[in-house]
Formats: sequence, structure tokens, C-alpha cells
Amino acid sequence: MAGRSTRGINGSNGSRTAPARAAALADLLHYECSTLLELFRKKENFTEDVTDRRLVSVPPPSSQLDTRDKLWRIHSALLQCQKLLEKAVAKEEEELGGGKKGKYENKRKLVKERLPLLILSTGELLKAAEGTTSLTPSVEGLEVNVPTGLLDLKLWVYRVYKEVNYWSKTAANTLKELPSVIVKEGARTTRARNRRSTRR
Amino acid sequence: MITWLLLFSLFRQSTQDGQGEGVLRCGPQNVTLDYDSFLLKWEDDPSCSVIRDGLVYELQLLIADKPEHNGEVVVAPAQIGSTHSWKWTSHLPSQCARHSVRLRSQYNNQSSPWMQKTLPDQGEILVLPRDQILEVGSTATFCCMVPDGESIKTMFLYDYKGTNVTTTKISEHVHSLTVHLDQESENYSDVRCETTKGNINGASFHASYPPDDSDLKCETRDLESIDCFWNVGRAANEHPAMERTYQLQGSSCINGRSGKCSQKVKLDAAERNWTLTATNRLGKLEIHDNADLTKRVHMVAPDKVAASTVNPRNISLKWSWTVQKYSNLNITCQVDVSDGNSNTKTENIGVGLTAAVIKDLIPYWDYVVRVRCGTAQHFWKWGDWSKSVKICTKGDVPDALDVWMKVKADQAVISWKVPLTNQSHGEIFDYKVSWAKTKDKNQSNQTNVSRSNHSLTLTLDPSEEYMVTVTARNINGSSSPSTIIIPRSNLDTSEVKTSWISGSNGSFFLSWPDSPNASCGYIVDWCPVFGNCTFEWMKVPPNRTHTTVFSKNFEDGRRYLLSIYACTEGAAVLLQRRKGYIRETKIGVELFKLKYKQEDSAVEVSWEPIPLEKQTASIHGYILYYQDKSGNVFNVSTDDPEATSLTAKNLNISMYTFTVTASTAFGLCGNSSINVTLNPPADQLIMLILISLGAVFLILSVSTIICYRQWACIKHKVYPPIPKPVLTDQWLTLPDEHTSHHLHFDQSYYREVLDIPKLHDQFRPPQPEVDQDYKPFTFSQTPKGYYNKPLKKSQPCLTLPTTGLTSQPGLPSSPINGVFPNPLYNPSYNLVLQSVDREVKSGPEVHEGIPFIRSFSGYQPQSPDETFTTTELEEYPNSPISCVSTYILLPQKTSN
Repeated sequence: MAGRSTRGINGSNGSRTAPARAAALADLLHYECSTLLELFRKKENFTEDVTDRRLVSVPPPSSQLDTRDKLWRIHSALLQCQKLLEKAVAKEEEELGGGKKGKYENKRKLVKERLPLLILSTGELLKAAEGTTSLTPSVEGLEVNVPTGLLDLKLWVYRVYKEVNYWSKTAANTLKELPSVIVKEGARTTRARNRRSTRR
Repeated sequence: MITWLLLFSLFRQSTQDGQGEGVLRCGPQNVTLDYDSFLLKWEDDPSCSVIRDGLVYELQLLIADKPEHNGEVVVAPAQIGSTHSWKWTSHLPSQCARHSVRLRSQYNNQSSPWMQKTLPDQGEILVLPRDQILEVGSTATFCCMVPDGESIKTMFLYDYKGTNVTTTKISEHVHSLTVHLDQESENYSDVRCETTKGNINGASFHASYPPDDSDLKCETRDLESIDCFWNVGRAANEHPAMERTYQLQGSSCINGRSGKCSQKVKLDAAERNWTLTATNRLGKLEIHDNADLTKRVHMVAPDKVAASTVNPRNISLKWSWTVQKYSNLNITCQVDVSDGNSNTKTENIGVGLTAAVIKDLIPYWDYVVRVRCGTAQHFWKWGDWSKSVKICTKGDVPDALDVWMKVKADQAVISWKVPLTNQSHGEIFDYKVSWAKTKDKNQSNQTNVSRSNHSLTLTLDPSEEYMVTVTARNINGSSSPSTIIIPRSNLDTSEVKTSWISGSNGSFFLSWPDSPNASCGYIVDWCPVFGNCTFEWMKVPPNRTHTTVFSKNFEDGRRYLLSIYACTEGAAVLLQRRKGYIRETKIGVELFKLKYKQEDSAVEVSWEPIPLEKQTASIHGYILYYQDKSGNVFNVSTDDPEATSLTAKNLNISMYTFTVTASTAFGLCGNSSINVTLNPPADQLIMLILISLGAVFLILSVSTIICYRQWACIKHKVYPPIPKPVLTDQWLTLPDEHTSHHLHFDQSYYREVLDIPKLHDQFRPPQPEVDQDYKPFTFSQTPKGYYNKPLKKSQPCLTLPTTGLTSQPGLPSSPINGVFPNPLYNPSYNLVLQSVDREVKSGPEVHEGIPFIRSFSGYQPQSPDETFTTTELEEYPNSPISCVSTYILLPQKTSN
């Protein structure tokens, strides 16, 4: 590891608390998303295992992954979740919306607003870990196939919520496991980050 | 050359495949089948590009694997390489069978292999029809199909309140659900199908109505465009999926859902048919209105409304029109004038009207004015109101004051109501009060009262009638004078009735008989019956004989006195009086200060008259409760509200608790109690003593009479014959000087009263003046001489001997000194009968043949050794004295 320089993000104090703050944010998002999922499930009378199809595609977890890989993985998953969620909300409003502003709609809005905050936090951590030449994941070009049938749409929205719920929880756990001081790792190859094609 | 090579390749491949002649490589690819529309889409295989003269696709529809329909699509040479489609109107919902479609290409009698598409695909759950908008009232059937290898577990309806649902199992792979849509969906409802593997899918639908708009009405505002309005019906609450589109006269309405649409049109004076079309996913509706719009002018609001002239009591208004075509219309305009409390509307008519005059206004007053207009001919409806304009009228002299008076002795309080803003017409400076005797109006007095005061107290001659005039002044001048006549105070008002009245809803309702004197109406005044009388009043017009009196000063639980006067040309005449409460309130406890007075067996409980300020409710009477020690409760009551006492009678000598309570509309109030212990009356005690004494006297008298009448017998019984004393010589010896005393007998006194024998301490034998014969010593009783009664002087009496002992009847008495045993008393004592004077020579007198022996001896204690025994006495039972008893000797205290 010689030659690997170490430095904190925005000074030592900031780097020490950034993962913990991000973890707390992920916890909060997970809590809100769990509530949203439950509200939607009850609203549509779905069983918990009504669908298990995955929508987010990232490299599989591995004990071999270093901090940057872990951050990259959850950051990429959350970005996909955000795109899916935005599409789901828009489509639901368009196809199924009755103009109501109830508890479910408010919770959905809250989750939609908090997810970008977590993405911002993980992105900052990823930048810190990768240095100035960071290669943050992108969802540009990611196609979202929205079902045409209305019930299919409901089921798809449910899947999206489950993905957000799963990845917010995964992000919280991953962030808690990270060292309190994130250091820039040495020169690395860009590695096979396009392993996203490998489904979890 | 290349083309020929490709064609060769096209057919060679077919031959190599072993499918014989006519097998074509050029066929369909990327075949898709849409569930809902049953639209089949496909593309040409790239090998088809060599075909220059077009090809044909043969299609075959299979239901339950049986051919149901055949079709073909001809592809022109120019279309080769593009996407082709074929649509079949499916009867799928009603048949609920698995559908397949297959297609192949044909070219020069050559065919490509069949390519088949089956619904549902492997791994899919298909519920049809999907995402339908259905009309309420219809019946819908849905089919659920799963591919081979899967079974349907359940098919059900979710989020629809319809109850008329039937589910049918056609096979393991096909179920159907039929629902009668008897109500509108709130949102999308689902028909869900779940397989035994737990997979779920389904179709959604929305049940709603076709357009139901109604009541189209069209008008014009500017005579250049048309405005139509209608009732949108259910559209206001419909789901976005059911959004309606509107067209008026064939042109789109932008916001038709609001029930309004406007369009520019060329108007002419003729009736036309105006049509509105409403369309949604379930249908189309046309509604019509037939009208000549020149008769349906809805005018816009007048512009620039302002006051052109302002006077104290009238205003001139002007305005303009933004629509030039109004200048030719005959217009009627309504002017709304608000004074802050009420509104009045006046109307004006004219061609192209742009001005109006408002009259009867209050001087120095703020008004808010607005104007609206409509066509006078063929009036359709009022136009819009103009903007409101605030205008203040000019000031004027105050209105005449409302004056009233109250007279008490030589004091007359003249009072007037504070002029309201709509009466003062400007700020009041002061008031002027002048007064004069009516018979001498020239000698008038006058004073000014500051604007902060609204009454004046005058000291007047009660025997004279006065006329008082009050005016108010402001910057514009003095008001008209208000005059009131103060009558002479010696007028008799005793015949005026005062009756009770009850308030209701914070006011008093009064009515009274019509009075011929009331030429200018009536006056009602009122004030509380106690405390300072700040009187208030109201005036009632002549044609009314009732009114409701209300005052913000009215208080609950306070008694008011209301007076009704007839207003005449002279002094007001008092007609009636009322007293009562706006609302009675419960009287508090301990209302009474109780006192009591006992008279024999009665107790009068009294109290001080109840002050009016404590009478928060009308008292109808009083009840006196009294309770004795045993808890028995009695009561007496009175219906006299003026009563100040109640009396409880026939009481026992005991302790009582008296409670006085007032009877009111709230029940019994103001309880006050007092405990009283009754004393036995002194007269009764005296009477008791007297009666007792009388009874004793009576008993004694009767006893005496009886004894007197039966004396002989009693004497015989009580005082049996005394045996002859046995005298010895010793009896003649003188007793010891120290142990016995002689009774000194005064001869002179002896003649009058028998001396009381003295009890000697020691036995002393009597002087033996008598011989052994005891007869001369026999005691005899005379009718007139009896014990202790003075006798005649000529007849010396025996003196009743007394002793210090209690009386001992039966003891004998003898004129001689002798000792007799006392059988009934202490035997230690002996009686000594001693002759006071032995020399008394007089013998016993005889009355009625019976010798009377005077005895002057008394009892003396007997010596123990010189006692007689009773046996000695009994030796002579037949003695002649047995029935001749001597006096009964009653022991008495020694009296010297």
C-alpha cells in the first residue's frame, strides 16, 4: 500500500462523520420507505410476496469488495432506484391518480424527496474514496420499461417501492460497516465496474 | 447477378430443410400480439428484400386450437421490410378460450413455415379485457387464462363495491368472472387472478357514465359574442379517465368542464339553434338552446361610477359604458344605496342611461353606491354590479330631540336621548333648555347644557304646569324644538293599576287598551324599582297599543317598573303600570332575619320585610316549616307576599327547628332557620299548683265530713275504751323535781283555751283524786266539742296535749295524770297524764246524757318501769267506755 496517500474529506472532522451521517440518512429513508410500502400494500391489497422480480441491476455483493466498490455499488443502485421511483410516481399519477392527497401520497412525496439526499451523500463519499478522478455511476441510457396494463403498473410500482426499500436498507448497513475515515485508495484500474449486467 | 444468387439461396435453403418444394425462407419475424386489441405485428425476414413483386401473408386464428378465422395481408413490394399488422375483433371475453394466431408468407406458390403466437405466453397470466372503461348498468365478463403447467387458484374483484359478482371455473387454466356494474368506480378497480404458484395478475376497469350535461342557456354580453352555460352533471366529480371534451357550434371549448363556453359570433335579430356537444370515453351528448340573442343581453357592469353632485339629502350619479352598442339600447339601471345597516334600490330607465339621482338620504352620512343595468325591452337578467363607490352627504341641522321627563315632588328631570349620527347631521355643540309656566309663557327661563350631558334637573312649583323646550345645535344650526309639558304634581294617579309582567328573551312585551287621549301615541318608560332610577323610554305610534321593551341596561333578577303614558297635546297621561323581571333569578339562602315569640303553645316566627334588592324573583308567599325532635315536620303557609310572620300552633314543650322559605317561580328559596326551645308557661304552673291545692282541700273536706259523720264509729275503732287505770299509792307521790314538770294551769286561761300539755321527761304519777272506780273518769265525746277546738268559757275544754312526736292515734287521754302504754309507738316512751290542778273541783259536764270530762293533761314520756300493759286494758272488754272514745291524741311537736 506504499505510495497510497491518505487524506480526509473536507478536513478530518468532516470525514469522520460523513459515513455515519449518510447511514443515518439511509436509516431514515428506509423507515419512510417501509411505511410507504406498507401503505401501498394495504391500499392495493397485495401480499408481501406478490412479486419478487428485481428491477435494479448492480454487481453482486462480495467480501472482496473494498470501500470504493461498496460505495459504488450502493450509489449505483440508489441512482437506479431514483429513476425507477420518479417514473413510477409519474406513471401512477398519470394512469391511476385520482387527484387525492392522502397519507399515501404524502409519504410517497417524502420518499421521493429524501432519496436524492442519500444519493448525494453516497456520491460525496464515493468521490472522497475515489479522489478527483472519480468514476461515478450513471443511469443515462437506462431504459425503464413500464407495463401497459394498469394492474401490471400497480405491481410494477410495488416492485419499485420494494427496490427502494431494499437498497435504502442495504445502504444503511453498508455505510455503517465503512470505516469512519474514508481514504482515497491508490491508483486503481477502472476495474470491471460494468459488472452491472450481473444481477444480484 | 447478386439478386439471382440471393433468390437461389432463398429456395435452396428451403430445399435443404427437407420441407419439399414451396418452402420459403422469407417469412415473418419479431411477431407480437397485443392482448387488448388483438393486434398482430410482425416484420419481414431480411431475405424478403430480394422479392420485387410483393408477397402475401396468410393468417389463421385458432380458438382452443381449432381454426376460427382465416385472413391474409398483401405486402406490396414497397412495403417489404416495414412492419406489418393485422387486427382481429376478438370475442375473447365471451368465449374465454385460449387464442392463437399463426401466419406464414406465400410467394410464387411457396410458403414459409407457420409462425404461431398463443395467448397467454408461457409464464404469463392473462386477464382480458384489460383496462376498460365500462358503463354503469352494464354487465362485464372477464377471463383469466394461464398457460399449461399452471393452475388458477382464485379470481376475484378488488376495489369495486358491486356485489353482483359471479366466478366460473371453465378449466384449470381458464376462469371467468362476471360482474353487474351497478355503481360508479371511485378509481380503477381490478379483476385479479392468482395461480397456485402464487403469481398474480389481472385487469383493471373503471365503471362510469356517458356525458349527462343539461340545461344549455346562451346569451350575449356585448352583442358580438355568445356565452353559453350548462349543467355539467357528474362531470364535476368524474375520474380523470372520464374527462369530457366540449364543442359549441362545432368549435372546441377550452374549459368546458366548468359549464361555460364563449365564442365570437355574428348576431342578428333572429332565433337560432345553439348546440353543445359533450363527449367522453363512454359516449357523446348533444344539448341545444333556441334563442334570439338580441333578446338575451346580459349587460356588463357600468364603468367609472361617481357622484357628480352631492347635497345633504340627495346625490347625482354618473357612469359610462365600455360596450359601445349599449348606447342604442333602452336600459333600466338599478342603484343600490347602502347606509351601513340597510340597502335600498332605486331604478331609472333611459336609452344608453349613464346617470341617476339618489334621494331621501341622511345628511352627513357615508353611503356606498353601486349600479347595475339590464335591457328595458326584452329584459333578460340584471347585468353585473359596478364597483362600489363611497360618497358622504353634506351636513344639516340636527333632528328634533326625543325628550321625556320624570317628576318627583318639586324636582323635574328633563332627559333627552343622545342624537345618533344619523340624527345629529354633524357634531353637536350643545343643548338649549327653556321652560315656562304654561299660563305665563312669556316669563321663560333658559339654560345651555354641554353636549356631554343629556338631562337637566329643574326645581319647579309643583302646583303649576310647565312647558319645557329642548333644542340641539351643530355647525349647521339648531334643531327643531322638542316640547314637553310637565303637569301639576297633585294629580291623582291612585287609580292607575299596577300589574305584574314577565320578561321574555331579554325584553318585556307590553300591550294596553287603546286610549282616546293618545293623540300623538304612547310613551313607555321604565327604571328599576330600587337604586338610582336612570329612566329610559320609548315612543309608540298612535295606531299601536303594544310594544316590546328592550334595553341593554336590563339585568336579570332585578325588578323593573314600567309606565305607559298616553301622549296628548298637553301633559302625558299615565295609563297603566307594570312591574316585573326580565328574568327572575334564584333567591339566595338566609334571606330572612328571623325572630320568634312564644305564646302558650304557639310560636310566632317573624321577619323583617324582604328588601327589593334581595327579591331577585317574585315572592308569591311564604312557608314556615317546623320540625320537632322526633323529626316530624309540619308547616304553615301564606300566599301574602307582604306577610312578615307566620304562627305555628299547638306545639309541645320541646325544641323545634323553624324554617321560613319564600315561594317563587324557582320553587322555595331563601331558606332561613331558627331553633327554638319552648318553655312551659308560668300561668300553667300556677294553675297546676292551685288545682293541686284545691284537690287537697277537697279531699280533706270530704274526709273531714266523712269523719265527722262517722266520728263515733271511728272513735270506737281508733280509740277503743280505755281500761281503768290501776292506781297505786305511788302514783300519789310527787315526782322528782328534776325529772318531771307540772303543767301549770292558768285558771283564767283555762276558761278560754285548753292549754297544751307538756311532755314531761320523767314519769310523774297523777294525783289520786279519784277512787278505784273509774267511771267518773270516763271520757265522753260531745257533738260539739272536739279536738283542738276552742270551747265555750262556761264549758271548760280539754286541751289537746301535744308532744314533740308525730301523731299517734289511738292514744287515750285522761283528765287525770296517768301513764298509758302507747302500743303503736316506741314502747320506751310512756305517756304521763298529769292533772295540772288537783284542786279543780268541777266535775265532768254532761252533754246529752253523757258526762264530759275535761282533760287538761298531756302526754308525757312514760317511765319504763311504770308502764301499762295492753293486757290490763283488755281486762274490760265490756267496759261502758268501749264505744265512748275520748279525744284522739295526736302527737305534736312541743310548743311552748
